[in-house]
Amino acid sequence: MALLTPGPISDQAWNSSAYQGLLRIRDSIGAEVSHIQTRTPAEFDENFRQYGAKGFSLVIGHGFEFQDAAQRVGPEYPQTVFATTGGSGVGPNIVPMSFAFDEPSYLAGIAAATVSKTGVLGTIGGTELPPVRASFHAFAEGARSVNPGITVLGAYIGNWEDAGAGKEQALAQIARRADVIFQNADAAGLGVFQAVRESKGVWVIGANADQNGLAPAVTLGSVVIDLPHAFLLLAREVHEGRFEPRVHRFDTASDVVRWTPNPALSVIPAATAARIDSLRARIAAGEFRVPEPATP
Amino acid sequence: MELLLLPFLEASVRTATPLAFAALGELVTERAGVINLGLEGAIIAGCLGALVGAGVGGPGFGFLGGAAAGTAMAALFALFVITLRTDQIIAGAAITMLGLGLTGTLYRTLYGASGASLSSPTVAPVPLPLLSEIPVVGPALFAQTAPTYALYLLLPLLAWWMHRTHAGLALRATGESADAAVAAGISTTRVRWAAILFGGAMGGLSGATLVLAQVGTFNEGMSAGRGFIAIAIVVLGRWSAWGTAAASLVFGGAFALQYLFQSAGWDVPYPLFLGFPYVLTLSLLALMRGRSAAPEGLAKS
Repeated sequence: MALLTPGPISDQAWNSSAYQGLLRIRDSIGAEVSHIQTRTPAEFDENFRQYGAKGFSLVIGHGFEFQDAAQRVGPEYPQTVFATTGGSGVGPNIVPMSFAFDEPSYLAGIAAATVSKTGVLGTIGGTELPPVRASFHAFAEGARSVNPGITVLGAYIGNWEDAGAGKEQALAQIARRADVIFQNADAAGLGVFQAVRESKGVWVIGANADQNGLAPAVTLGSVVIDLPHAFLLLAREVHEGRFEPRVHRFDTASDVVRWTPNPALSVIPAATAARIDSLRARIAAGEFRVPEPATP
Repeated sequence: MELLLLPFLEASVRTATPLAFAALGELVTERAGVINLGLEGAIIAGCLGALVGAGVGGPGFGFLGGAAAGTAMAALFALFVITLRTDQIIAGAAITMLGLGLTGTLYRTLYGASGASLSSPTVAPVPLPLLSEIPVVGPALFAQTAPTYALYLLLPLLAWWMHRTHAGLALRATGESADAAVAAGISTTRVRWAAILFGGAMGGLSGATLVLAQVGTFNEGMSAGRGFIAIAIVVLGRWSAWGTAAASLVFGGAFALQYLFQSAGWDVPYPLFLGFPYVLTLSLLALMRGRSAAPEGLAKS
């Protein structure tokens, strides 16, 4: 089983939790594992082919951006299952994994709006990938469900590595009175954490991995995708010969995505926490649908 | 609007600082007739060197570590370009790729897959008495971190050294016409080695500033193209020390404006903002065409 990540696995976010997933596959199933960090989209096809030719049974391209390469390479290696985290195109051996990341993002929006004193929130992303956009939209809607007049500033860094730019972007939002910033920028997001840590009365929300430990004094919580859990579910299917091609959806009901408040803090009022819990149950039961952004 | 002017100016100076370190180093290298595209590699090496150094002996040691790592990358570049006489452009590009790859591998070896987190010691801004109380520009210029102040001292010194000392003349002569310099008894090999090593040390300090005065951690690829921007800054600054510093500030300002625009909440596609600093560079370069101030012998041997 192999993993391709678009960024370094030391980012403590999107890529590092995928790598944790790969290690869990190794430890639980005893599979031989391999990891490559891709540098440019031009390498996606080549890296997929390389693992296909070596006879790997499952190759995961970690991100929406790998789906086209999976579509092209998949038919050449029918014995290998090509999975991408994001995307929509299904083939006999091509499985897009979809994460309902917007569901816990909505809950995070409720928490953020309750805690905010200024009525200004910020979102900072790496690049505007569709799942990131959907997540920020849900976050803003969740915040508006608490305070309809709240302002949500949005910004993108343009890459996922420039932590210096991430910090400056956060400081610019703080200068505009944002006091809760939801970041989804992987390694560049470390700069957002640093900016919040150096500012007074500002909170940050982590994304993808549980980032509550990065800056425990100022992190409200994290919107988590339990990638290790999701990867293991998929790997078991492949390993045990139960694999069925489909869009593999991981949501609140399967507990792969969740809002994880920072246990070291007690700034979210109990009433809000209770409201979030009951809404979470309604989302899991399919009684409440998180609003989606209009297609561009 | 007035409320946003100060954050904008502060962000401009902060963003310009690592750019100015790298660009002033590259300026000296280019005045010796060598273009070092490996600058990006020196910066990212400086980032990691700073993290390691600061972990061992605090921020002061971190800056030393950053400068040493940048110098090491530059020494490799000099070895290829001067001693082995390989093509400057190719050697520089290779050094940059080596730096980006090697730092990632070393970082994972030293700090494990989970990285160093936000654990690095950092230097806080130190407002200078009196100066930082000047309205608006005071806090922007004089409530910064130590590396920025170091640049304020270095800049006039460098400008003076390049134009008023024998060594500065030797540097410029080497870059303008190596043959004439040799005829005048200058060891161009030694001048170029020194200029390249200085450029590398400054690139390393640029990376150290990013880590120790700004982000507080290392991450792979965090130099994010600053080396290439610094090379453009030298051109924009017309190969003079003051010009290079001014061009750094223009770039810092362009980035800061970009951050501010995005946080303004206007309904404009964000890639337009992200592209702004680069559109600005191209426009300024186009405006200055035909009045080249490049050293005559740049990248010719």
